[in-house]
Amino acid sequence: MVRAIAIAAIEAALAAVEAERQLINDLNVYPVPDGDTGTNLALTVRAVLDELEQSDAEGIPGVAAAVTKGSLMGARGNSGVILSQVVRGVCEVWGTSGSLDVRVVKEALDAGQAAAYRAVKEPVEGTMLTVIREMAIAAQAMPDSLGLETLLAAVDEAGSSAVERTTSQLAALQKAGVVDAGGYGLLVLFRGLATGIEELLRGGGVSTRPRRGRPVAVTSAGLALETESELSQYRYCTSFLVRGEGLDAAAFEVFLAPLGDSALVVGDEHMMKVHVHVDDPGVVLSRAVAMGAVGEIDINDMHEQTRARDERLRHDAAGDEAATVVVAVVAGEGNKQLFRELGCGAIVDGGQSMNPSAAQLLEAVEALGCDEVVILPNNGNVILTAEQAAGMSARHIAVIPSSSIPAGLAAMVAFEPERDAVDNARLMEEAIDGIQSAEITYAVRDSEVDGVEVREGQAIGIVDGTLVAAGDAVDEVFGRVLETLAANGADQLTVLTSLNGSGTTPARLGELAARVAPDLELHVYDGGQPLYPILVSAE
Amino acid sequence: MSEPLLTLDNTAIVLDSTCDAPEGFFERDGLFMVPLRVHFGDESFRDGVDLGHDEFFAKLEGSEVLPTTSQPTDAEFAAAFEEARRHYEHVFSLHISRKMSGTFQAAERAAQGFDGVEVYDLKTVSAAMAMCAERLRARLEPGCTLAEARAYIEHFAAHSQLLVHAATLEYLRRGGRIGRAASLVGGVFDIKPLIYCLDGELTPYAKVRGQKKAFAAMERFLDEHSTPDDELHYCLIDALNPEEITLVDELIKRARPKAHFHFRGRVGAVVGTHIGPGTTAFALIVE
Repeated sequence: MVRAIAIAAIEAALAAVEAERQLINDLNVYPVPDGDTGTNLALTVRAVLDELEQSDAEGIPGVAAAVTKGSLMGARGNSGVILSQVVRGVCEVWGTSGSLDVRVVKEALDAGQAAAYRAVKEPVEGTMLTVIREMAIAAQAMPDSLGLETLLAAVDEAGSSAVERTTSQLAALQKAGVVDAGGYGLLVLFRGLATGIEELLRGGGVSTRPRRGRPVAVTSAGLALETESELSQYRYCTSFLVRGEGLDAAAFEVFLAPLGDSALVVGDEHMMKVHVHVDDPGVVLSRAVAMGAVGEIDINDMHEQTRARDERLRHDAAGDEAATVVVAVVAGEGNKQLFRELGCGAIVDGGQSMNPSAAQLLEAVEALGCDEVVILPNNGNVILTAEQAAGMSARHIAVIPSSSIPAGLAAMVAFEPERDAVDNARLMEEAIDGIQSAEITYAVRDSEVDGVEVREGQAIGIVDGTLVAAGDAVDEVFGRVLETLAANGADQLTVLTSLNGSGTTPARLGELAARVAPDLELHVYDGGQPLYPILVSAE
Repeated sequence: MSEPLLTLDNTAIVLDSTCDAPEGFFERDGLFMVPLRVHFGDESFRDGVDLGHDEFFAKLEGSEVLPTTSQPTDAEFAAAFEEARRHYEHVFSLHISRKMSGTFQAAERAAQGFDGVEVYDLKTVSAAMAMCAERLRARLEPGCTLAEARAYIEHFAAHSQLLVHAATLEYLRRGGRIGRAASLVGGVFDIKPLIYCLDGELTPYAKVRGQKKAFAAMERFLDEHSTPDDELHYCLIDALNPEEITLVDELIKRARPKAHFHFRGRVGAVVGTHIGPGTTAFALIVE
């Protein structure tokens, strides 16, 4: 019974966080603008639900212990770990109380804020910590006689004011004109939970009532992005769980100190959650493995996350009138960056050796929430999958038959977000019609193709599906491909390279082109795609 | 009685500094320039007075803060009008499009205190404005009527064309100076957009990639706005891109052998703040 009630209330909390997850992500600028606070909080709460669903505890002590354990195990990111400590403090009080009344809630909130402050070595004001403390202080000031609903309303109001004040408490927040993402996320979570509890106390089930509390002003000037966000000093946000005997959180924190920042080590001698920002997660994990069994490993590249958040916000800011979004299947970091810069809304990993599923494409489409969509498969093998995905969605989806990454880029150049998917399909297909594609890769076996002798491991050059050259050097084959393209009337070339181990360099390719086809205008980019040292489009 | 004749001796032209005039332009009698301002943090400069073309771009490159700009005050215009009226009976004050700057409005307010000062919104920017002054002077030199002078300025404001080949849209976007081009991509993937001035507002003309396509689009623009037999006048403008502006000149001379070339203006501090380095442009007027 207690477990079922807890599940219902926490589900209400999760639904509240999920509903504002993207907004919370976008608010995230401190300590690192990696745009994942909403996701981290949601995943942490989800882990609590998972633990409760698997648990067979029925009394308050057992359920409280399961909630604590679930939040610790599932804690993700800075905000998730701090949340897990609030939960732990709250559950310590609730677990020994035998009920949930005004007195217990007041005491639990106080224990929650105290536990959170204890976990953070150097507490910073203007964060989740400030918000939970202000909520706890407001609770203590309320007479017990006014009842639970009045208490929760007072805590809500104190939390709202505290969230709004965070902007002026932290320089990073002030500069971005936002409130603290973790603080706001905590308030959203509290509101969801409080709504759930009140509904249950009234004896009804949990409904999806409109959110309680007054609207909080989360940004001063919208989330428009003026300049690129600064990248974090350390690159990888690393969190994991260690199970063992005699674990020493304090000692591990000392070990982490010189390796990175934002370190949080919480838990007890049997189970410890670690969160830290470092450049080499391997060093941290190696030490942890020596202490016990390591699990729930979560490593995020915050530099990439920051860029993605910038891109999303820029896209949102530019996209006020955007009618159509593009989903592209792309391999290679450099290539992905080009697609993003050209205004691509979502990128699904994939290419020759790893075709995405229709479900993955559909998920990307749905996440953008736009009714007009263009999909660029960028590979002959993905076109059919993209068409399947289009057939499964109620949105207007146009699949452009782009059979290579350079072709997809040519299509992106023609993309006009303010027009609908049908118009864009026409513009983008026209752009692709005018181009020739070529690629250089390595032969996987000896053979004779299109009249050309090929030995395994040789570089081969393919122009519009026809093998035109084979040779031991990538350079040599590139030269022959250029000759073919120039003879076909091309005057502008886009070259996407991935030259590690190819024995050539972009400069060398440029020299070669100047010699072989001096009239060709050459644009070379580091694409980073697998399998193909060189991808080319010519127009 | 016949209408009085306007000449170079009795008529002055006031321009604002966004006219990006070539060197020596204002050294001639009858031409006055009112500077806008450019600010780097706490430092403030008068465009074209304290900070020229080369100094501005050198400073822009070395600066951590992005510059901002501000229009002249009403009082600065009043001072210029007073000076001009002391020596000349008629004053034409010719300005940057009101959709790009508040300069025109400031001049218009200041002119209310004077007789004989007429303020015009040329609905364009940069050296196109200087070319308008130059062509007006060509009419003042032999002498023209007030009505003829007004008609020419109005013709120029309505029919002159400006095509800009921007190296990047970053600067325009930052300053909010690109009206209908919010979603236009520029500067990435070697896309350098062509932007033209439509009814006083910068508007995307073509999204082109690579120099050959850019020049093909420029030629198309020429064809849309002139024929080889027109009496065509043009000027060139660039921001640190002498190579490309030379090619643009060759293109126009080839496509319009009879066109009259006036001068090559160089983007100054205020226009440079909003357009950025690497940009080229040309302005046309068919008479």
